[in-house]
Amino acid sequence: MKKLIIILGFISAILAVILAVTPLSKIAFLPAVAALLFGVIAIYISKGKKELKKSIQLIFLLTIMALVVTTYKSIFNKVEVGNTEELIEKENESEEQAIEELEELDIDESDLE
Amino acid sequence: MKYNLLFLILFVSSINSAQNTAIGTNEKLTFSASYNMSGLLTELAQVTMETSEVKTSSSTLLKLKCTAATYSKWDNFFKIRDLYESYVSPKTLTPYLYKRDIYEGGYEKFMQYKFKHKTNTIESIKRKKRGDGTTWEEKKNLTISASTKDLVSTIYNIRNLDIHKAKPGDNQTFKIVFDNEEFLINVKYLSKETITTNIGKKECYKLAISINNSSVLKGNNDNLLWLTADANKIPVFAKFKIPVGNGELKIVSATGLKN
Repeated sequence: MKKLIIILGFISAILAVILAVTPLSKIAFLPAVAALLFGVIAIYISKGKKELKKSIQLIFLLTIMALVVTTYKSIFNKVEVGNTEELIEKENESEEQAIEELEELDIDESDLE
Repeated sequence: MKYNLLFLILFVSSINSAQNTAIGTNEKLTFSASYNMSGLLTELAQVTMETSEVKTSSSTLLKLKCTAATYSKWDNFFKIRDLYESYVSPKTLTPYLYKRDIYEGGYEKFMQYKFKHKTNTIESIKRKKRGDGTTWEEKKNLTISASTKDLVSTIYNIRNLDIHKAKPGDNQTFKIVFDNEEFLINVKYLSKETITTNIGKKECYKLAISINNSSVLKGNNDNLLWLTADANKIPVFAKFKIPVGNGELKIVSATGLKN
């Protein structure tokens, strides 16, 4: 039982760390909370027993790291569009070409103002 | 008989194309597209919808432009720079030329349709980039039905519907051509709802959108669109169901409105 909880805790903690470094960092909160829960349960189960608790500590360490990165990102990272120069260039080119294409087309006079 | 009647009604309604009352010539709408999973919102891209006037030697047309660009944090993972354009009649929003030029995470594609309304055909050009960097082109002539439009002008045509005359539960069907195939889009008016947006608290028409015979945008009111219940009918919020979580489109700003 304890082993299973620790393994699940590890998986969630590692998932939280991986998600925290991707742009999907906010979603890392979900596995981070799960990892914390598993960690607490594991401590509760092994209470009073003389066993090594290194693995549980590691779960908490990983989770806290993931939470710090995620929180930092959600507070300090600005949401802005990157370089759109190519897109603007593409738009201008496209309009020039479109006007040429439209010249060749038969446009119904009644459709226009 | 029932189907014949339905077809006749659709046909007549397509001939009497509604006059453009909602879309101005220098309108700019900016949206933020995001992914929502259990309330954790991740912003993905900025989407804009712009209109402008385009003059040729003999006519003045309305250019409808939609762009999508991922936010900088995504550019290293999956960069999107999409451009969709439609050149339409300013009066009836009938499309004449449609262009789609997309760049999605290294995948590039160009599509162009020239609409020939007299013969109900379109001249289609498809250009794609191969893995080795060279491009290939495919030209086709397709026959379409009289009311078929492209994707961009259909979005604007939905805005131009007389929703104030509709009752909750009413349906309208649009035919669109996308990737050289014709699809039927169903737009269903659900109800009026007041929602809070970045441009204030707005009373909105809530519409459900679905595509027949397609795996995307299936029925069951999963894909919703909120249009303001005024003369401009600005799309302020859209929600799309995806296998895990929701996709959302929220308005950020709206300028140059007609009314």
